[in-house]
Amino acid sequence: MTDITFSGRAYAKIILHAAKYPHCAINGLLLGKQNNSNELQIIDVAPLFHICLHVTPMSEVALTMVEQLALNQGLIIAGYYLANENINDTSTDKPAHRGISEKIVEHFNHALIAVVDNKKMTVGMNMNSLKISQYLDGKWKFKDPSSINYEGGANLLEATYHLIRRKEYRNLVDFDNHLDNISLDWQNLKLNEKIDEVLKNYQ
Amino acid sequence: MCEIDDNLNWTEGRDILRNWRESLERRSKDVVEIWETVLMYHIDKLGNEKYLVLEQVCFAALDCYRLPLAEYCVKALMKEFPGSSRVHEYHAMYLEALEMYNEALEVLDSIIKRDETNAAPRKRRVAILKACGHIPEAIKELTEYLKKFMSDQEGWHELCNLYLQEQEYSKAAICIEELILHNPHNHLLHQRYAEIKYSQGGYENMYIAKAYFCQAIKLNPNNIRALYGLLLATNNLALSLKCPVSQKKGTIKLNEWVAGQIEKQYKNKIADKGNDSKYIEGLLAQLQLEG
Repeated sequence: MTDITFSGRAYAKIILHAAKYPHCAINGLLLGKQNNSNELQIIDVAPLFHICLHVTPMSEVALTMVEQLALNQGLIIAGYYLANENINDTSTDKPAHRGISEKIVEHFNHALIAVVDNKKMTVGMNMNSLKISQYLDGKWKFKDPSSINYEGGANLLEATYHLIRRKEYRNLVDFDNHLDNISLDWQNLKLNEKIDEVLKNYQ
Repeated sequence: MCEIDDNLNWTEGRDILRNWRESLERRSKDVVEIWETVLMYHIDKLGNEKYLVLEQVCFAALDCYRLPLAEYCVKALMKEFPGSSRVHEYHAMYLEALEMYNEALEVLDSIIKRDETNAAPRKRRVAILKACGHIPEAIKELTEYLKKFMSDQEGWHELCNLYLQEQEYSKAAICIEELILHNPHNHLLHQRYAEIKYSQGGYENMYIAKAYFCQAIKLNPNNIRALYGLLLATNNLALSLKCPVSQKKGTIKLNEWVAGQIEKQYKNKIADKGNDSKYIEGLLAQLQLEG
């Protein structure tokens, strides 16, 4: 049994990505590291697409680039996150998602899938909106929310609420934004700083 | 993106909304905000524009799930234009937002019955099926619609997306072909067609993808998706066993050319050549072929 930890930054960025494009399906990659003691830490995420999740060429480009970025920081691509277009839909096995998530499993066999439960994205942001599954013995298994540690706990939800209210999602750049204008930074270095600052205030 | 000024007065608010209506910008959250901060107190000063604003706010309120506000707008519009099918359509959308799909369908059907040439309510029928998650049914409904309204480009676009959701790549490609006939000089369509063919896989499709990526680049040399796409496609083609020796050399040459173009794009656009260009170089090193 692996212990799973999500950093505040990873959680906040997923939620901001979903909030930036409420009418679209979105996806991205989870970056993390696995310690010897069977502990999987998700440190950061790389927001990928919102325009069209069904064609593969740009995902191939993004995967290659993110892998390089992760390697440089001593991280691995540890999973995949997504939000579906339909508000009631929390499925993770749509063709668009299957392609990338299977690819990730080939390289890391305890990969995670995090899906945003659109119905829990409320104005107050007072519920954790992520549903996590892990790849174990050839299948995706749903993880009980209580078994996952979120850095900051209840304060994290407040910090996320604060970020949303400040409309920080406008500053989030996903890979589609980068491809529309390559001078935009898909690594979100500036946004990371802002998120870290807010998280610190809510500790 | 322009921030909304806290001290906005109502004439400014009116002008902003008018601008967005004319340029077809949706900006739903901002529309609702402008309504609530200023316009709702001055609605009667707007003259005939009042109803256009109500319409805009109604739509925005539905986007933001502000149902009481949407209801207020629908009622106000209904009072002024009781027989209008345009207003009935807003009513149907309000019912959709409440997830009362059967009732919404009834309203839409009555509008269609009154005016068979009205395209909008037919498209909402497709939207309802999509909202229920019935994608194959939505596809069926939309193809029926496109038989009657063949020149509706938005419709073809949506059909393409629905087919992609179902992984019916060849059918999705046909929709884009239809759109290319309408807009032969739109580089984005050529790029999307190439991406679909690329996703479909196989040597033949990869070959077609290469040609369409090239055409997209010809129409817009700055289309970075097409440049990356061409890099991947030529890479795949040259490494394929099916690639005839006679074509291999040309493909490799094209691959080198496009790698140079991508590098140039990044050099032109990014002032500080820090981290980003390092990853690009890494990517190019992986995908570039030995000549």
